[in-house]
Amino acid sequence: MRFPTDENVIVGLERADDAGVYRVSEDLALIQTVDFFTPVVDDPYAFGQIAAANALSDVYAMGGVPKTAMNLVAFPVRDMDLAILRAILQGGIDKLREAEVVLIGGHSVEDKELKYGLSVTGFVHPRRVLTKKNLRPGDLLVLTKPLGTGIVNTAIKAGLADPGLIERVTRTMAALNRTAAERLAAFRVHACTDVTGFGLIGHLAEMVSGSGTSVRLEAAAIPLFSEALGFARMGLIPAGAHRNREFRETMVDFGPGVPRERQDVLFDPQTSGGLLISLPAEDAGPLCAQIREEGGTAAVIGEVLADASERIRIE
Amino acid sequence: MKEIDCRGLACPAPVLHTKATLQEGRPEAVRVLVDNAASQENVRRFLESEGYETRNERSGDDYAVVGRRSGAAAAAPASETRPATATPPGERRTVLVLCTSDRIGRGDDELGRRLMVNFLKTLREMGPDLWRLVFVNNGVKLTIDSSEVLEDLKAYETGGLKILVCGTCLNHFGLLERKQVGETTNMLDIVTALQLADKVITV
Repeated sequence: MRFPTDENVIVGLERADDAGVYRVSEDLALIQTVDFFTPVVDDPYAFGQIAAANALSDVYAMGGVPKTAMNLVAFPVRDMDLAILRAILQGGIDKLREAEVVLIGGHSVEDKELKYGLSVTGFVHPRRVLTKKNLRPGDLLVLTKPLGTGIVNTAIKAGLADPGLIERVTRTMAALNRTAAERLAAFRVHACTDVTGFGLIGHLAEMVSGSGTSVRLEAAAIPLFSEALGFARMGLIPAGAHRNREFRETMVDFGPGVPRERQDVLFDPQTSGGLLISLPAEDAGPLCAQIREEGGTAAVIGEVLADASERIRIE
Repeated sequence: MKEIDCRGLACPAPVLHTKATLQEGRPEAVRVLVDNAASQENVRRFLESEGYETRNERSGDDYAVVGRRSGAAAAAPASETRPATATPPGERRTVLVLCTSDRIGRGDDELGRRLMVNFLKTLREMGPDLWRLVFVNNGVKLTIDSSEVLEDLKAYETGGLKILVCGTCLNHFGLLERKQVGETTNMLDIVTALQLADKVITV
Protein backbone atom coordinates (compact mmCIF):
# COMPACT_ATOMS: atom_id res chain seq x y z
CA MET A 1 0.00 0.00 0.00
CA ARG A 2 1.22 3.51 -0.79
CA PHE A 3 0.44 6.17 1.78
CA PRO A 4 0.17 9.91 1.11
CA THR A 5 3.29 11.72 2.32
CA ASP A 6 3.92 15.12 3.85
CA GLU A 7 7.23 16.61 4.94
CA ASN A 8 5.69 17.60 8.28
CA VAL A 9 5.09 13.98 9.31
CA ILE A 10 7.64 13.30 12.05
CA VAL A 11 6.37 9.84 12.94
CA GLY A 12 4.04 8.12 10.49
CA LEU A 13 2.64 4.70 9.68
CA GLU A 14 5.87 3.26 8.32
CA ARG A 15 7.55 3.75 11.69
CA ALA A 16 4.89 1.72 13.57
CA ASP A 17 5.50 3.70 16.75
CA ASP A 18 3.04 4.33 19.61
CA ALA A 19 1.36 7.28 17.92
CA GLY A 20 1.61 9.55 14.88
CA VAL A 21 3.38 12.91 15.17
CA TYR A 22 2.81 15.89 12.86
CA ARG A 23 4.78 19.14 12.90
CA VAL A 24 2.52 22.21 13.07
CA SER A 25 5.25 24.82 13.56
CA GLU A 26 8.89 25.10 14.59
CA ASP A 27 8.00 24.52 18.23
CA LEU A 28 4.77 22.51 18.14
CA ALA A 29 3.87 19.05 16.91
CA LEU A 30 0.59 17.14 17.29
CA ILE A 31 0.54 13.60 18.63
CA GLN A 32 -2.48 11.56 17.56
CA THR A 33 -3.50 8.09 18.67
CA VAL A 34 -6.60 5.89 18.91
CA ASP A 35 -7.24 2.72 20.86
CA PHE A 36 -10.35 0.78 21.85
CA PHE A 37 -11.11 -2.76 23.01
CA THR A 38 -13.61 -5.14 24.56
CA PRO A 39 -13.98 -5.20 28.37
CA VAL A 40 -11.00 -6.49 30.31
CA VAL A 41 -12.69 -6.34 33.73
CA ASP A 42 -16.27 -6.90 34.95
CA ASP A 43 -16.68 -3.50 36.61
CA PRO A 44 -17.85 -1.05 33.89
CA TYR A 45 -16.54 2.05 35.68
CA ALA A 46 -13.09 0.47 36.06
CA PHE A 47 -13.18 -0.61 32.40
CA GLY A 48 -13.79 3.01 31.39
CA GLN A 49 -10.85 4.15 33.48
CA ILE A 50 -8.56 1.46 32.07
CA ALA A 51 -9.54 2.20 28.44
CA ALA A 52 -8.82 5.89 28.96
CA ALA A 53 -5.50 5.31 30.75
CA ASN A 54 -4.52 2.96 27.93
CA ALA A 55 -5.40 5.44 25.16
CA LEU A 56 -3.62 8.31 26.92
CA SER A 57 -0.52 6.18 27.44
CA ASP A 58 0.51 6.35 23.77
CA VAL A 59 0.84 10.13 24.03
CA TYR A 60 2.93 9.85 27.19
CA ALA A 61 5.12 7.23 25.51
CA MET A 62 5.92 9.71 22.71
CA GLY A 63 7.09 12.30 25.23
CA GLY A 64 3.97 14.43 24.82
CA VAL A 65 1.23 16.01 26.91
CA PRO A 66 -2.34 14.85 26.08
CA LYS A 67 -4.78 17.71 25.56
CA THR A 68 -8.04 16.56 23.95
CA ALA A 69 -9.92 13.28 23.54
CA MET A 70 -12.94 11.81 21.75
CA ASN A 71 -14.93 8.76 22.82
CA LEU A 72 -15.40 5.70 20.62
CA VAL A 73 -18.29 3.48 21.68
CA ALA A 74 -19.79 0.27 20.31
CA PHE A 75 -22.74 -0.80 22.45
CA PRO A 76 -25.42 -3.53 22.26
CA VAL A 77 -28.20 -1.09 23.05
CA ARG A 78 -30.97 -3.72 22.74
CA ASP A 79 -29.39 -6.28 25.08
CA MET A 80 -27.56 -4.25 27.66
CA ASP A 81 -28.61 -1.77 30.32
CA LEU A 82 -27.66 1.80 29.42
CA ALA A 83 -26.52 2.28 33.02
CA ILE A 84 -23.51 0.12 32.10
CA LEU A 85 -22.60 2.48 29.28
CA ARG A 86 -23.00 5.47 31.60
CA ALA A 87 -20.65 3.88 34.13
CA ILE A 88 -18.04 3.18 31.43
CA LEU A 89 -18.19 6.74 30.12
CA GLN A 90 -18.00 8.11 33.67
CA GLY A 91 -14.85 6.05 34.29
CA GLY A 92 -13.33 7.42 31.10
CA ILE A 93 -14.24 11.02 31.91
CA ASP A 94 -12.89 10.79 35.46
CA LYS A 95 -9.59 9.46 34.14
CA LEU A 96 -9.42 12.27 31.55
CA ARG A 97 -10.09 14.79 34.31
CA GLU A 98 -7.24 13.31 36.35
CA ALA A 99 -4.99 13.71 33.28
CA GLU A 100 -6.28 17.28 32.68
CA VAL A 101 -7.52 16.31 29.22
CA VAL A 102 -10.81 17.62 27.80
CA LEU A 103 -13.38 15.44 26.08
CA ILE A 104 -14.46 17.29 22.95
CA GLY A 105 -16.58 14.76 21.09
CA GLY A 106 -17.08 11.17 20.18
CA HIS A 107 -19.01 8.66 18.13
CA SER A 108 -21.11 5.63 19.01
CA VAL A 109 -22.46 2.71 16.97
CA GLU A 110 -24.71 -0.22 17.78
CA ASP A 111 -22.75 -3.46 17.95
CA LYS A 112 -23.37 -6.96 19.35
CA GLU A 113 -20.13 -6.70 21.28
CA LEU A 114 -19.36 -3.87 23.69
CA LYS A 115 -16.24 -1.86 22.91
CA TYR A 116 -14.89 1.37 24.31
CA GLY A 117 -11.85 3.51 23.77
CA LEU A 118 -10.71 6.96 22.81
CA SER A 119 -8.79 8.93 20.26
CA VAL A 120 -6.38 11.28 21.99
CA THR A 121 -4.48 14.30 20.72
CA GLY A 122 -1.46 15.72 22.51
CA PHE A 123 1.27 18.31 22.09
CA VAL A 124 5.01 17.86 21.96
CA HIS A 125 7.99 19.95 20.91
CA PRO A 126 9.13 18.59 17.52
CA ARG A 127 12.65 18.02 18.84
CA ARG A 128 11.47 16.33 22.07
CA VAL A 129 9.61 13.42 20.42
CA LEU A 130 10.49 10.08 22.03
CA THR A 131 10.41 7.06 19.74
CA LYS A 132 11.25 3.39 20.10
CA LYS A 133 14.34 3.68 17.93
CA ASN A 134 17.38 5.07 19.64
CA LEU A 135 18.81 2.54 22.10
CA ARG A 136 22.43 3.36 22.94
CA PRO A 137 25.03 1.03 24.41
CA GLY A 138 25.47 1.71 28.12
CA ASP A 139 21.83 2.79 28.58
CA LEU A 140 19.80 1.25 31.35
CA LEU A 141 16.21 0.11 30.80
CA VAL A 142 13.49 1.21 33.22
CA LEU A 143 9.96 -0.25 33.51
CA THR A 144 7.19 1.64 35.33
CA LYS A 145 4.41 -0.91 35.99
CA PRO A 146 4.47 -4.54 37.15
CA LEU A 147 3.89 -7.25 34.51
CA GLY A 148 1.41 -10.13 34.58
CA THR A 149 -1.93 -8.39 34.03
CA GLY A 150 -2.85 -10.68 31.10
CA ILE A 151 -2.24 -13.84 33.10
CA VAL A 152 -4.04 -12.46 36.15
CA ASN A 153 -7.00 -11.43 33.96
CA THR A 154 -7.13 -15.01 32.67
CA ALA A 155 -7.18 -16.23 36.28
CA ILE A 156 -9.96 -13.75 37.07
CA LYS A 157 -12.00 -15.18 34.17
CA ALA A 158 -11.34 -18.62 35.67
CA GLY A 159 -12.61 -17.44 39.05
CA LEU A 160 -9.27 -18.18 40.72
CA ALA A 161 -8.10 -14.70 41.70
CA ASP A 162 -8.92 -13.33 45.14
CA PRO A 163 -10.65 -9.94 45.52
CA GLY A 164 -7.50 -8.25 46.83
CA LEU A 165 -5.53 -9.26 43.74
CA ILE A 166 -8.35 -8.18 41.40
CA GLU A 167 -8.36 -4.80 43.09
CA ARG A 168 -4.56 -4.38 42.83
CA VAL A 169 -4.44 -5.40 39.16
CA THR A 170 -7.37 -3.15 38.28
CA ARG A 171 -5.74 -0.21 40.03
CA THR A 172 -2.49 -0.85 38.14
CA MET A 173 -4.21 -1.02 34.74
CA ALA A 174 -6.22 2.14 35.49
CA ALA A 175 -3.13 4.08 36.62
CA LEU A 176 -1.98 6.85 34.27
CA ASN A 177 1.56 6.81 32.93
CA ARG A 178 1.51 10.55 33.53
CA THR A 179 3.85 10.72 36.54
CA ALA A 180 6.54 8.70 34.80
CA ALA A 181 6.14 10.77 31.61
CA GLU A 182 6.38 14.08 33.45
CA ARG A 183 9.44 12.98 35.41
CA LEU A 184 11.35 11.67 32.41
CA ALA A 185 11.05 15.01 30.63
CA ALA A 186 13.92 16.23 32.82
CA PHE A 187 16.28 13.41 31.76
CA ARG A 188 18.22 12.53 28.61
CA VAL A 189 15.85 9.80 27.46
CA HIS A 190 17.01 7.97 24.33
CA ALA A 191 13.98 5.79 23.61
CA CYS A 192 10.58 5.11 25.12
CA THR A 193 7.48 3.01 24.46
CA ASP A 194 4.60 1.59 26.48
CA VAL A 195 4.19 -2.12 27.17
CA THR A 196 0.88 -3.44 25.83
CA GLY A 197 -0.32 -6.36 23.72
CA PHE A 198 3.04 -7.69 22.58
CA GLY A 199 4.29 -8.08 26.14
CA LEU A 200 7.58 -6.80 27.54
CA ILE A 201 9.70 -8.86 25.17
CA GLY A 202 7.60 -8.00 22.11
CA HIS A 203 7.89 -4.27 22.72
CA LEU A 204 11.54 -4.55 23.63
CA ALA A 205 12.11 -6.50 20.41
CA GLU A 206 10.68 -3.56 18.44
CA MET A 207 13.22 -1.31 20.16
CA VAL A 208 16.13 -3.69 19.56
CA SER A 209 15.36 -4.48 15.88
CA GLY A 210 17.40 -2.20 13.69
CA SER A 211 19.14 -0.58 16.67
CA GLY A 212 22.52 -2.28 16.17
CA THR A 213 22.52 -3.08 19.89
CA SER A 214 21.48 -5.96 22.14
CA VAL A 215 19.93 -5.92 25.59
CA ARG A 216 20.44 -7.94 28.74
CA LEU A 217 17.59 -8.19 31.25
CA GLU A 218 17.83 -9.34 34.83
CA ALA A 219 14.70 -11.47 35.28
CA ALA A 220 14.60 -11.13 39.06
CA ALA A 221 14.64 -7.32 38.83
CA ILE A 222 11.55 -7.10 36.61
CA PRO A 223 8.50 -6.00 38.63
CA LEU A 224 5.54 -8.37 38.34
CA PHE A 225 2.45 -9.58 40.16
CA SER A 226 3.91 -12.58 41.98
CA GLU A 227 0.57 -14.40 41.77
CA ALA A 228 0.98 -14.48 37.98
CA LEU A 229 3.83 -16.99 38.38
CA GLY A 230 1.54 -19.47 40.13
CA PHE A 231 -1.23 -19.00 37.58
CA ALA A 232 1.26 -19.49 34.72
CA ARG A 233 2.39 -22.79 36.27
CA MET A 234 -1.26 -23.84 36.23
CA GLY A 235 -1.58 -23.07 32.52
CA LEU A 236 -3.72 -19.96 32.99
CA ILE A 237 -1.93 -18.20 30.17
CA PRO A 238 -3.71 -16.05 27.57
CA ALA A 239 -3.40 -17.19 23.96
CA GLY A 240 -1.70 -13.86 23.19
CA ALA A 241 1.24 -14.78 25.41
CA HIS A 242 1.80 -17.98 23.41
CA ARG A 243 1.61 -15.99 20.17
CA ASN A 244 4.05 -13.37 21.51
CA ARG A 245 6.48 -16.13 22.44
CA GLU A 246 6.19 -17.85 19.05
CA PHE A 247 6.75 -14.56 17.24
CA ARG A 248 9.82 -13.40 19.18
CA GLU A 249 11.51 -16.37 20.80
CA THR A 250 14.14 -16.63 18.07
CA MET A 251 15.50 -13.25 19.26
CA VAL A 252 15.66 -14.27 22.91
CA ASP A 253 18.23 -16.23 24.94
CA PHE A 254 17.02 -17.32 28.37
CA GLY A 255 19.58 -18.21 31.01
CA PRO A 256 19.18 -21.51 32.91
CA GLY A 257 18.00 -19.65 36.01
CA VAL A 258 14.86 -18.23 34.39
CA PRO A 259 11.99 -20.64 35.05
CA ARG A 260 9.33 -21.17 32.40
CA GLU A 261 6.62 -19.33 34.35
CA ARG A 262 8.81 -16.22 34.66
CA GLN A 263 9.38 -16.37 30.89
CA ASP A 264 5.61 -16.53 30.40
CA VAL A 265 5.16 -13.29 32.33
CA LEU A 266 7.72 -11.58 30.08
CA PHE A 267 5.66 -12.57 27.01
CA ASP A 268 2.32 -11.81 28.70
CA PRO A 269 0.20 -9.23 26.80
CA GLN A 270 -0.42 -6.21 29.03
CA THR A 271 -3.44 -3.97 29.16
CA SER A 272 -2.45 -0.36 29.86
CA GLY A 273 1.07 -1.40 30.83
CA GLY A 274 3.92 0.80 32.00
CA LEU A 275 6.49 2.82 30.10
CA LEU A 276 9.69 1.12 28.98
CA ILE A 277 12.47 3.72 28.95
CA SER A 278 16.08 3.61 27.73
CA LEU A 279 18.33 6.28 29.22
CA PRO A 280 21.95 6.86 30.30
CA ALA A 281 23.03 4.78 33.30
CA GLU A 282 23.63 7.80 35.54
CA ASP A 283 20.09 9.07 34.88
CA ALA A 284 18.26 5.81 35.54
CA GLY A 285 18.62 5.78 39.33
CA PRO A 286 17.43 9.35 39.87
CA LEU A 287 14.47 8.83 37.49
CA CYS A 288 13.36 5.68 39.35
CA ALA A 289 13.75 7.43 42.70
CA GLN A 290 11.59 10.36 41.56
CA ILE A 291 8.82 8.13 40.20
CA ARG A 292 8.81 6.04 43.39
CA GLU A 293 8.64 9.19 45.52
CA GLU A 294 5.36 9.97 43.78
CA GLY A 295 4.06 6.52 44.69
CA GLY A 296 4.67 4.92 41.28
CA THR A 297 6.52 1.76 40.30
CA ALA A 298 9.92 2.10 38.62
CA ALA A 299 12.71 -0.45 38.35
CA VAL A 300 15.91 -0.79 36.37
CA ILE A 301 15.38 -4.11 34.57
CA GLY A 302 18.40 -4.35 32.28
CA GLU A 303 20.98 -2.68 30.10
CA VAL A 304 21.75 -1.97 26.46
CA LEU A 305 24.88 -3.68 25.12
CA ALA A 306 27.26 -2.72 22.33
CA ASP A 307 26.56 -6.04 20.61
CA ALA A 308 25.29 -5.64 17.06
CA SER A 309 23.57 -9.04 16.98
CA GLU A 310 20.28 -7.45 18.15
CA ARG A 311 19.46 -10.13 20.69
CA ILE A 312 17.60 -10.08 23.98
CA ARG A 313 19.43 -11.94 26.75
CA ILE A 314 17.54 -12.69 29.93
CA GLU A 315 19.40 -13.95 32.99
CA MET B 1 -8.46 -43.48 30.09
CA LYS B 2 -10.61 -40.49 30.95
CA GLU B 3 -11.38 -38.34 27.89
CA ILE B 4 -12.21 -34.64 28.10
CA ASP B 5 -13.35 -32.89 24.93
CA CYS B 6 -12.54 -29.18 25.12
CA ARG B 7 -12.68 -28.44 21.40
CA GLY B 8 -14.47 -25.18 20.61
CA LEU B 9 -13.62 -23.74 24.03
CA ALA B 10 -11.46 -20.64 24.48
CA CYS B 11 -8.80 -20.17 27.17
CA PRO B 12 -9.02 -20.60 30.11
CA ALA B 13 -12.03 -22.97 29.74
CA PRO B 14 -10.01 -26.11 28.77
CA VAL B 15 -7.86 -25.77 31.90
CA LEU B 16 -10.96 -25.27 34.05
CA HIS B 17 -12.72 -28.33 32.57
CA THR B 18 -9.62 -30.42 33.18
CA LYS B 19 -9.36 -29.06 36.72
CA ALA B 20 -13.01 -29.93 37.42
CA THR B 21 -12.50 -33.46 36.12
CA LEU B 22 -9.46 -33.97 38.33
CA GLN B 23 -11.40 -32.70 41.34
CA GLU B 24 -14.05 -35.41 40.83
CA GLY B 25 -11.38 -38.04 41.34
CA ARG B 26 -7.82 -38.21 40.12
CA PRO B 27 -7.78 -40.56 37.13
CA GLU B 28 -4.63 -42.62 36.42
CA ALA B 29 -4.69 -41.40 32.85
CA VAL B 30 -6.48 -38.59 31.12
CA ARG B 31 -6.69 -37.36 27.52
CA VAL B 32 -7.74 -33.78 26.89
CA LEU B 33 -8.79 -32.81 23.39
CA VAL B 34 -8.45 -29.16 22.30
CA ASP B 35 -8.42 -27.33 18.97
CA ASN B 36 -5.38 -25.07 19.20
CA ALA B 37 -1.75 -25.14 20.27
CA ALA B 38 -2.14 -22.49 23.00
CA SER B 39 -4.83 -24.47 24.80
CA GLN B 40 -2.74 -27.61 24.40
CA GLU B 41 0.23 -25.92 26.08
CA ASN B 42 -1.96 -24.55 28.89
CA VAL B 43 -3.55 -27.94 29.60
CA ARG B 44 -0.13 -29.60 29.52
CA ARG B 45 1.17 -27.10 32.09
CA PHE B 46 -1.87 -27.66 34.28
CA LEU B 47 -1.56 -31.46 34.22
CA GLU B 48 2.15 -31.22 35.05
CA SER B 49 1.40 -28.89 37.96
CA GLU B 50 -0.99 -31.59 39.19
CA GLY B 51 1.68 -34.29 39.07
CA TYR B 52 0.96 -35.89 35.72
CA GLU B 53 3.51 -36.88 33.10
CA THR B 54 2.36 -35.55 29.75
CA ARG B 55 2.61 -36.20 26.06
CA ASN B 56 1.26 -34.02 23.23
CA GLU B 57 -0.67 -35.46 20.27
CA ARG B 58 -1.70 -33.83 17.03
CA SER B 59 -3.89 -34.97 14.17
CA GLY B 60 -5.13 -32.41 11.66
CA ASP B 61 -6.92 -29.62 13.51
CA ASP B 62 -7.17 -31.63 16.71
CA TYR B 63 -4.61 -31.30 19.47
CA ALA B 64 -4.53 -33.48 22.55
CA VAL B 65 -2.61 -33.85 25.77
CA VAL B 66 -2.30 -37.26 27.37
CA GLY B 67 -1.48 -37.22 31.07
CA ARG B 68 -0.44 -40.18 33.20
CA ARG B 69 0.04 -40.25 36.92
CA SER B 70 3.37 -41.80 37.71
CA GLY B 71 4.40 -42.90 41.20
CA ALA B 72 6.88 -40.13 41.76
CA ALA B 73 4.87 -37.54 39.93
CA ALA B 74 1.69 -38.39 41.80
CA ALA B 75 3.39 -37.81 45.10
CA ALA B 76 4.37 -34.25 44.36
CA PRO B 77 3.52 -31.64 41.77
CA ALA B 78 6.23 -31.79 39.14
CA SER B 79 6.36 -28.29 37.73
CA GLU B 80 7.61 -26.30 40.68
CA THR B 81 10.13 -28.71 42.09
CA ARG B 82 13.43 -27.42 43.28
CA PRO B 83 14.93 -23.96 42.84
CA ALA B 84 15.77 -23.34 39.22
CA THR B 85 19.52 -22.95 39.40
CA ALA B 86 22.50 -24.45 37.73
CA THR B 87 23.31 -26.42 40.89
CA PRO B 88 22.82 -30.16 40.37
CA PRO B 89 19.99 -31.66 42.42
CA GLY B 90 21.06 -32.87 45.83
CA GLU B 91 23.89 -30.41 46.25
CA ARG B 92 21.69 -27.68 47.60
CA ARG B 93 19.37 -27.94 50.55
CA THR B 94 15.94 -26.38 50.40
CA VAL B 95 14.82 -24.64 53.55
CA LEU B 96 11.22 -23.69 54.21
CA VAL B 97 10.48 -21.24 57.02
CA LEU B 98 6.94 -21.45 58.39
CA CYS B 99 5.86 -18.34 60.36
CA THR B 100 2.79 -19.13 62.44
CA SER B 101 2.80 -15.85 64.35
CA ASP B 102 3.87 -12.23 63.98
CA ARG B 103 6.19 -12.58 66.97
CA ILE B 104 8.73 -15.09 68.24
CA GLY B 105 8.13 -17.02 71.42
CA ARG B 106 5.86 -16.33 74.38
CA GLY B 107 6.33 -13.95 77.27
CA ASP B 108 6.91 -10.34 76.37
CA ASP B 109 4.90 -9.48 73.24
CA GLU B 110 6.94 -6.37 72.45
CA LEU B 111 10.17 -8.36 72.66
CA GLY B 112 8.63 -11.12 70.53
CA ARG B 113 7.66 -8.60 67.89
CA ARG B 114 11.16 -7.14 67.73
CA LEU B 115 12.68 -10.61 67.57
CA MET B 116 10.47 -11.53 64.62
CA VAL B 117 11.46 -8.36 62.71
CA ASN B 118 15.12 -9.10 63.33
CA PHE B 119 14.63 -12.79 62.46
CA LEU B 120 13.06 -11.99 59.07
CA LYS B 121 15.73 -9.41 58.24
CA THR B 122 18.50 -11.87 59.16
CA LEU B 123 17.02 -14.77 57.16
CA ARG B 124 18.85 -13.49 54.07
CA GLU B 125 22.04 -14.90 55.60
CA MET B 126 20.76 -18.36 54.64
CA GLY B 127 21.53 -17.35 51.05
CA PRO B 128 20.13 -19.49 48.25
CA ASP B 129 19.21 -22.33 50.63
CA LEU B 130 16.19 -20.27 51.67
CA TRP B 131 13.52 -21.65 49.35
CA ARG B 132 10.09 -20.80 50.73
CA LEU B 133 8.70 -18.44 53.31
CA VAL B 134 5.19 -19.40 54.44
CA PHE B 135 2.89 -17.24 56.59
CA VAL B 136 -0.10 -18.72 58.41
CA ASN B 137 -2.38 -17.64 61.27
CA ASN B 138 -1.12 -14.40 62.89
CA GLY B 139 1.98 -14.63 60.68
CA VAL B 140 0.00 -13.25 57.70
CA LYS B 141 -0.03 -9.85 59.47
CA LEU B 142 3.64 -9.56 58.52
CA THR B 143 2.65 -9.34 54.84
CA ILE B 144 0.18 -6.44 55.01
CA ASP B 145 0.64 -2.73 54.35
CA SER B 146 1.46 -1.83 57.98
CA SER B 147 4.12 -4.54 58.39
CA GLU B 148 7.52 -3.38 59.61
CA VAL B 149 9.22 -5.96 57.41
CA LEU B 150 7.21 -5.34 54.23
CA GLU B 151 10.16 -3.86 52.34
CA ASP B 152 12.41 -6.73 53.43
CA LEU B 153 9.84 -9.30 52.28
CA LYS B 154 9.40 -7.49 48.98
CA ALA B 155 13.16 -7.54 48.50
CA TYR B 156 13.22 -11.30 49.14
CA GLU B 157 10.46 -11.77 46.61
CA THR B 158 12.17 -9.61 44.00
CA GLY B 159 15.25 -11.74 44.60
CA GLY B 160 13.27 -14.82 43.56
CA LEU B 161 12.18 -16.23 46.93
CA LYS B 162 8.64 -17.54 46.79
CA ILE B 163 6.49 -16.29 49.65
CA LEU B 164 3.23 -18.10 50.38
CA VAL B 165 0.51 -16.40 52.41
CA CYS B 166 -2.45 -18.38 53.76
CA GLY B 167 -5.63 -17.10 52.10
CA THR B 168 -7.93 -18.58 54.75
CA CYS B 169 -5.99 -16.71 57.43
CA LEU B 170 -6.06 -13.38 55.55
CA ASN B 171 -9.77 -13.83 55.06
CA HIS B 172 -10.28 -14.68 58.75
CA PHE B 173 -8.62 -11.43 59.83
CA GLY B 174 -10.29 -9.42 57.04
CA LEU B 175 -6.85 -8.59 55.59
CA LEU B 176 -7.19 -9.95 52.01
CA GLU B 177 -7.14 -6.43 50.58
CA ARG B 178 -4.21 -5.28 52.69
CA LYS B 179 -1.74 -8.02 51.76
CA GLN B 180 1.17 -6.40 49.89
CA VAL B 181 3.62 -9.20 49.30
CA GLY B 182 3.65 -12.92 48.48
CA GLU B 183 1.25 -15.26 46.77
CA THR B 184 -2.12 -15.87 48.41
CA THR B 185 -2.29 -19.62 48.68
CA ASN B 186 -4.23 -22.59 49.96
CA MET B 187 -3.48 -25.50 52.29
CA LEU B 188 -2.69 -27.88 49.40
CA ASP B 189 0.12 -25.64 48.18
CA ILE B 190 1.46 -25.26 51.71
CA VAL B 191 1.38 -29.00 52.35
CA THR B 192 3.08 -29.66 49.02
CA ALA B 193 5.82 -27.14 49.81
CA LEU B 194 6.34 -28.68 53.26
CA GLN B 195 6.71 -32.09 51.64
CA LEU B 196 9.21 -30.90 49.03
CA ALA B 197 11.42 -28.98 51.46
CA ASP B 198 14.55 -30.63 52.84
CA LYS B 199 14.22 -28.73 56.08
CA VAL B 200 11.28 -26.98 57.72
CA ILE B 201 11.83 -24.32 60.37
CA THR B 202 8.70 -23.35 62.28
CA VAL B 203 8.57 -20.13 64.31
